[in-house]
Amino acid sequence: MEANSANVELQSKTVTKTPSGFSVVWREIVRDKLALLSLIFLVGISAFVYGTAIVLDQEEIVKVDLFAIYEAPGEEYILGTDYGGRDIFGQLIIGTRNSLSIAILVTVMTGFIGVVFGLVAGFFGGHIDNIMMRVLDFFNVLPFMMIVIVFVAIVPKYSVWTFSLIMTAFLWMGIARLIRSRALQEKELDYIHAAKTLGTSNIKIIFKHVLPNISSLVIVTMTLNLAANIGLESGLSFLGFGFPESTPSLGTLLSYATNPQTLEYRWWIWVPASVMILLLMLAVNNVGTALRRATDARQRRG
Amino acid sequence: MGFLKVEDLKVHFPIKGGIFGRTVDHVKAVDGVSFSLEKGKTYGLVGESGSGKSTTGRAIIGLNHITGGNVFFEDKEITGVRKAKSDIRKDIQMIFQDPYSSLNPKKRVLDIVAEPLRNFENLSRKEERVRVQELLELVGLSPESILKYPHEFSGGQRQRIGVARAVALKPKLIIADEPVSALDVSVQAQVLNFMNEIQKELDLTYMFISHDLGVIKHMCDQIGIMYKGRFVEEGTATEIFENPQHIYTKRLVAAIPDIDPRKREEMKKFRAEVNTEYEQAYNDYFNEEGLAYSLKPISETHLVALPEKG
Repeated sequence: MEANSANVELQSKTVTKTPSGFSVVWREIVRDKLALLSLIFLVGISAFVYGTAIVLDQEEIVKVDLFAIYEAPGEEYILGTDYGGRDIFGQLIIGTRNSLSIAILVTVMTGFIGVVFGLVAGFFGGHIDNIMMRVLDFFNVLPFMMIVIVFVAIVPKYSVWTFSLIMTAFLWMGIARLIRSRALQEKELDYIHAAKTLGTSNIKIIFKHVLPNISSLVIVTMTLNLAANIGLESGLSFLGFGFPESTPSLGTLLSYATNPQTLEYRWWIWVPASVMILLLMLAVNNVGTALRRATDARQRRG
Repeated sequence: MGFLKVEDLKVHFPIKGGIFGRTVDHVKAVDGVSFSLEKGKTYGLVGESGSGKSTTGRAIIGLNHITGGNVFFEDKEITGVRKAKSDIRKDIQMIFQDPYSSLNPKKRVLDIVAEPLRNFENLSRKEERVRVQELLELVGLSPESILKYPHEFSGGQRQRIGVARAVALKPKLIIADEPVSALDVSVQAQVLNFMNEIQKELDLTYMFISHDLGVIKHMCDQIGIMYKGRFVEEGTATEIFENPQHIYTKRLVAAIPDIDPRKREEMKKFRAEVNTEYEQAYNDYFNEEGLAYSLKPISETHLVALPEKG
C-alpha cells in the first residue's frame, strides 16, 4: 500500500506540465519574426493610442482655429493642420483609437453571434437548422447601406458603440454560414459520436469538441474580418455615412482627400491615416496567420 | 432475463425527394432483427457491407434513430434513450471502426480518456490523472503518453486509446464496431488478444461487429449473420462454421481462405460447387424481394431463415 502510493506520487511528478494554449501561441509568434514585429507594432500602437487618448482632449483637438489653416508639418504641429486649423496628429491618434475600437468591437460581436449561431444550427441540423437559416436569410436580404444611412440620419448621438452595434447587426451572417457548414461536416465524424456514447451533453460537445476543431477557421476568419472592419469604417466615413468631423476617425481623415487640392498639395492630411490603415491591416493579418498555425498542432513551427 | 435483448429492431432511413423534400421511400437498413446477448460472452454480428450490422450496433447505443422494435438491457427498456447522463451511457460503451477519426485531434490523451470520467465521476485532477495512467497501462501504453496528441500515435495505439476510453467507466457491454478492420494484420492480432484479456479481467460482454470471419471465429461464442437488414442464420460458433444451414452462410464460410496450398484445387472446386448451389437455390432461400425469411429454430441454439415450406 505504502509503495503503491509512493509510486503514484512519483508518476504524477514525472509528468511535465502541459504546454498551455497561451504558451503555444507565444512560441509560435516568437518563431515567426514578421508576426512578432507585427504584434509589437500592434500592441505599441494600441497602447500609445489608447494611452494618449486619455490625456488628449478631443474637444480641444476638433476646435476650429482660423489662424492655423493648412499649416505644413513643423515645430508647432508635428503633422500640420487641416482646413479648420485642427491638429492632424491629434486627430490621427483619436481617429486610430476610434477606428480600432470599432473594428475590434464589430469583430468580437459578429464573431460571437456568428460562431454560436452557426454552431447551434450546424450541430443540431434538421428543423432547427432550417428555421435558423431562414432567419439568417432574412438579415441577408435587408439593404445594408440604406439602413445604415437611415440610421445615421435618425440617431441623435452617434458614438462608437451605436456604430458598432448597427454594423454588427448586418455583418454576422457571413461567419455564421461558414461556421455552420463546418459544424455540419464536423458532427458526422466519429469522435462526436464517441462523445455522445460517453455521455457528454450536447452543449459540451458543441463547445468542447466542435469549437476547438474549427477554432483555426474562427481565428482566421475573425482576423480577416478585423482587418476588413478597419477598412469598413473608413469606407463608410469616406462616403460621408461614418462619423461627423467632430469625431475624428481614420475614415474622416481620409475623406479630406476628396478635395483635389488636398490630395495633390497637402499630403500630410491624408497620407498618415492611409499608412496607418495599411500598417494596421498588414499587422493584423500577420498575427492572424501565426495564430492559425498555433491552433493546428501539425503546422506549428515552434 | 437476458442481459441485452433486442426485439424486432427496425431502423429505416427516409429517402427525400421531389420539390418539397417529401419522404419518397425508405432504406430498410435494419428490418426486424431479434437476438439476445449473454453476460460475459461475445456475440458476433457478421455480414457484407451494407447489411445493417453497424446500424444495429449504433441503434442499440442510441446513435441511430430506432424506427420500430425494442431494446432491453438488464430487463430495462432502453429503446431510444437519448439523455446524456443516463446509466445506459455508463454501462454500454462503443469502440469505433476508424481509430483516426474517433479521437478528437485537438485533445490530449489525458482529456480523451478522462472524458467519460469527467461526465460521470467527480474526481480530483490528481485522482483523474492516476486513473487515466492506470487505464493506459491496462491497454499497454506507457503512462507518460497522457500529454501527447492522437496524431503522435500509430493506428494500433490509437485503437488502444479508444479501448481505454471505452473501458474507463467499467461498462458491462462494449459494442465493438469493426475494431480491427482499419489495422494491419499483425496489429489486429495484438488488439484482439488484448481485448480478450480485458474481457476476462473486467468481466465484459462484447458485441463484435465484423465482416472478417477469421476474426469472428477467433473471438465469438455466438454468431448472427446478417443480409440486407435481416438475420439469415444465428447460432454458436461451432454450429455456424461446422454446420451452416442457410445457403448464404454456406457461401460465406466457403469463402474463408485456407492456407494449405495442397488443398488449393480442392477448395476451388468446393467453392465453385457452393456457388452453383447458391445460384440455383437462391429463389428457395429468399423471397420475391430478395430478403431473407424469418428465423426458424433447427436446434436449441441454432436458428436459420428457411422458407415456410421446404
